[in-house]
Formats: sequence, structure tokens, C-alpha cells
Amino acid sequence: MASKYSERPVKQGDLPNVVDELMSDALPLGCYATQRTVRTLFLSRSGVRGLRTALDGDEKWRSLAQRYPFFSYHEREMQALQEIVVQSSPDERPLYFSSDAIPEAIVAEGKGISGVVVGPVHAGIIEPGRFTISTGGESVVHIDAQLSYSHRALEPWFEGQEALALAPRVARICGNCSVARSWAYARAIEELAGVELDDCTEFARLVLAEMERVHVHLFDIGSIAAGAGYDRGTTAALGLRERICQVNNVASGHRLLFDSVVPGGVKAGIFADPGIVRTTLRELRDDVARFCDALLAKRSLLRRLEGAGVVERPLARRFAAVGPSGRASGIACDVRAIAPYGAYRGCAFSEELAGGGDVYARAEVRVREIERSFDLIERGLREVEGRKLSAPRQVDAAAGIITTVVEGARGAESISLELSKGGRIDRLHVISAAYRNWPLVTRAMEGNIVPDFPLVNKSFNLCYSCVDR
Amino acid sequence: MSLEKFLHSLGIRHLVCGSCNGCELEMNALAAPQYDISQEGWGVVASPRHADVITVTGPMSEAMRHAAQMTIEAASEPLVVVAVGDCASGDGVWCEAGSAGPGAGRELEASIFVRGCPPSPDALREGLRAAATLLDGRKS
Ligand code: SF4
Repeated sequence: MASKYSERPVKQGDLPNVVDELMSDALPLGCYATQRTVRTLFLSRSGVRGLRTALDGDEKWRSLAQRYPFFSYHEREMQALQEIVVQSSPDERPLYFSSDAIPEAIVAEGKGISGVVVGPVHAGIIEPGRFTISTGGESVVHIDAQLSYSHRALEPWFEGQEALALAPRVARICGNCSVARSWAYARAIEELAGVELDDCTEFARLVLAEMERVHVHLFDIGSIAAGAGYDRGTTAALGLRERICQVNNVASGHRLLFDSVVPGGVKAGIFADPGIVRTTLRELRDDVARFCDALLAKRSLLRRLEGAGVVERPLARRFAAVGPSGRASGIACDVRAIAPYGAYRGCAFSEELAGGGDVYARAEVRVREIERSFDLIERGLREVEGRKLSAPRQVDAAAGIITTVVEGARGAESISLELSKGGRIDRLHVISAAYRNWPLVTRAMEGNIVPDFPLVNKSFNLCYSCVDR
Repeated sequence: MSLEKFLHSLGIRHLVCGSCNGCELEMNALAAPQYDISQEGWGVVASPRHADVITVTGPMSEAMRHAAQMTIEAASEPLVVVAVGDCASGDGVWCEAGSAGPGAGRELEASIFVRGCPPSPDALREGLRAAATLLDGRKS
């Protein structure tokens, strides 16, 4: 079994140095607290490494966000939900707020600067967020994103529940990363219980995860076209995506593949006819390739994408960017390549990198990743086709602490699970790729024109539900 | 085309109240050529003032409660509220979970409930058609 979780105790005083060291050769995932114990997590080639820091009595947490700004959300969440007092935080605002409170916004000040506020309800079918934009004329000086409108305090509510029974809910923490999160959750339970799966099941999981990537990437590419005002591209992308959803339904009985990966394997009865899925996807693959080629050759569209919302590599690094957005800025962050899991272990997978860090690069990385996904799907379906896919194995959930990471369509999706005897949840923490990348969206907009906010925002197309929880 | 056809046109304003975004993915699918609801004269509008229908998803999150109420108040009569998905309808996986409410559609007194987790685009289209029919009755 690959990519084991390991952790070691680190005193708070030593933590900044240890984090500095790990930053140079591992992918930072973030940190979370269980009562008075904070775990800082990294993904390295040997698996997830945790640094366990126990806080004494009323010891405060000394913010790491001054040095590494991506810790800011984590620390605000720890303060809100675990009552850990964070010292010298660069952002002391409460992360969650109540119904009639208007959250405090950070606005730029200066001559000629004015503000625009949008949200939380938007002129489209999108999740709720409030954006306070400070502008000097047409140029954006600063954007403050106030998320948390979808906060439902799910994590405290998970505590005490039975881990196996919670799987359908985990699949619905977010509709965009359902398969990835279900897979990370199933792995966490299975690795704690010492359960290994047969190759056929592992390949079925890989296929499902790649099908999710294809439908989400196509949606994101369509959204980029929409942000650029190119409706023809949006409609075509939605049409192709719809065909994928129909294949998803044939393959798994669910258009968005919810509940297809379960602890112990994959949903019973899935891929009843892998041959049909393979032939349909073959045709679809050609149509998707033709569409993407035509889209990225369209000069008038390219002029909108190139140079918009640039995230330079050092900034992406400082914010620990993940997913296609990280790779578009040249950051190697694909979990499938760094710490392969399941059937990726036998696939010699290499990640798609670009350098521009602009909207174009984020579109291009997705286009290339869709092609890789289709390769992986074909490979996986051939493995599934020749064999009989077994029903999910019985798993006896075992006690322990673990973090597992899976590459979702928007990047590294991790599950931190702490189980007590009998498989009850002491703590279940979700770190989503969107959580990681949100601060970058606002940085990417600086110096861009206000009308490009939808375009730049859509080039990340981050989720809210798995961020807010 | 008969003129009555125009009675069925709908301006839709969409409210997300703690949804997982699965319902939104299917709502967005309605713009795909396979469904293309713009052919029916249905479209998502940029202001609640322009809306005939407000679609709501999710169990209701605490932070959205006030904004959701304001959106409903801002819309002009006649208005039909459509609950989209099991969460909004009152028995989805997130109803009463953590600080989640009992279903946004229940709280906002929806008159149409489109079931499913998420509902399929076909089911959504049926729900919107029911809203259009209801509105026609109220407009006459
Ligand atoms: S009904 Fe299902 S798809 Fe819709 S928001 Fe609830 S969990 Fe998500």
C-alpha cells in the first residue's frame, strides 16, 4: 500500500522552522485543530506527513499566516470552531457570521478610489459569495472575498456519527468534487482498517474520478467562454458536458456520479456494460477534442484570455496553489503524480504544466488534462471490461488518525479522519482545493479591469460549498 | 405561434441557500442545447425585480437567511417560488444538519417542489413549466 500517513510531534516554538524546511520539497495542505491539538499537513512523495502540535492550557496559536498567507483561512476556522485563540493573525475577522450581519470588508483607501459590492445573490446560477471591489477607475486595486454564506457547521455535526453510514453525506459536501472526496474518504476508512482492494475495483474508481474531471473541466471551460462573452463556446461546452453526464448515468446510475465510490469499493452494479461506456466515450472524445482545438484557435477569444488574471509562479507558490490553477502557474501539484494512489500507481502519470499563469494557461491546462483523462478512462475501462467487478467489500471501521489526499478536478482534496473504536467519528475535516485557491483569485484580479472579474473568477471556477461547509 | 405562448415566458432568479452545488450543475444544464430553455422564453435574470420565478436550493444556511428573504421581498407579484432538490424540499441530506435549516423551499414558502438529489434537467423543466402554468392563472 502506497502513500501512508505519518505524523510526529512538533513543539509550537519549532514549528516555523520545520514548516520552512517542508515547504521546499512537499506540497502544503494546511492545518486543522481537534480541540487543543493542531495538525499541520504536507504531501510528500512518501505520503501525507502531519506535524502534531499540542497546545497547553491556554496557550495561543502563533499565526503562520504572516509568513505563509494560505494558513489564514485555516487559522480563522480554528478560532471560530475550536476556540483556539490565534495571535498576530493578518486577518482577525471572524470567518463565519450570522444572518443579518453584513460581514466586515477590507477596502482600499486613497484619492479616486471607489467601491463596488456584489453578492451574495448573483445574476446567474452560482453559489453565494460577497465581493467588495475597490477600484481606481476601471482598474481593480483590491478585492475582498467574503465567503461562508453556505456555512452549515457540518464538521461539528459529524462528530459522534458512524463513519460508514456518513459516506452518502460526504459525497454531497460538494457536487463538483463528489467522486474525489468520496474516494479520499473511502481510502481513509480503508487504510485505517488495513483493507486492500483488487485491481479491477481500483481501475473502476480511477475511471469514475476521471469522468468527474472531464465533466467539471468542460463546465469550467464553458464558464471561461461565458466570462469572455463568447456564448457559442459556452453552449457547445455545456452540450458536450451534458453528453458526459448521460454517460455517467449509464455507467453509475447518477448523472454526477454521486455515491459511486463507497467504503470497500464501488457501488454495486456499476459499469454493468463497460463496453457501451467505452464506445460512447470514444465518439465523445473526438467531439471534445475538435471543440477544444477550435476554441483555443479563436483569435478574438484568445485576446480576452491572454494576459488576463496573471498569477506569477512565486505568488502561486507563496499561496500554495493547487489544481489546474496551480499547474497553469508552473507549480507541480498533481496528487496523481506526486503521491499516486489506487490504480494511478501503475499508470506512469505525468502532470500537465504551463507557465503563463493567465486565464489562457488555466484553460489550456484543462484542455490537456481532459485528453489525459480520456486516455486514463480508456485504459481503465479495458481493465474493468475483461473482469468481473465485485460488490463493495465489508469494512470494519478501525480506530486511528489519518489524512488522505485525492486529485479532484479543482486540485488536492483531502480528508482528515479521526475515528474511535467502533468506527465513530471523533473528527472529520475537509480541506478542499477551492479553500486553498480562493485567496489567489482576488490577487489575480489586481490591476485587471472590473469587467474581467467574471472571466478571471471563472478561470478558477472555485466551489463554495466544500469551502464553507 | 399563438399569442398565449408568451404568457409562459419566465424570468428566473436563482437563490443558493447552502446547496452542495449539485442542483446548480443541473440548473446550468438547462442552458445546454439538449434542453435550451431560452427557446421557451425562459431565462435567468439579473435582478429579483425582473423575476417571475425564484428557484431556491439548499437546506438554508444561517448566513443566507436574511439575503434570501430580501430577495423574495424585492421581487414583484405575481411570484412563484420553486424549491429545487431534496435539500430545499425539506428532506435532503443537509436538512437540520449542523446549523442548516429545514429546507430553503419550506422556509420561503415555495409552491412547487422539484424532487431529486439533484433533480434531472427534465424534472427541472417540468417544475418550471408548472410554475409558468401557475403564473398564467394568477396573471389573468
Ligand atoms: S438536493 Fe442533493 S444535489 Fe441538491 S443541494 Fe442537496 S445534496 Fe446537493
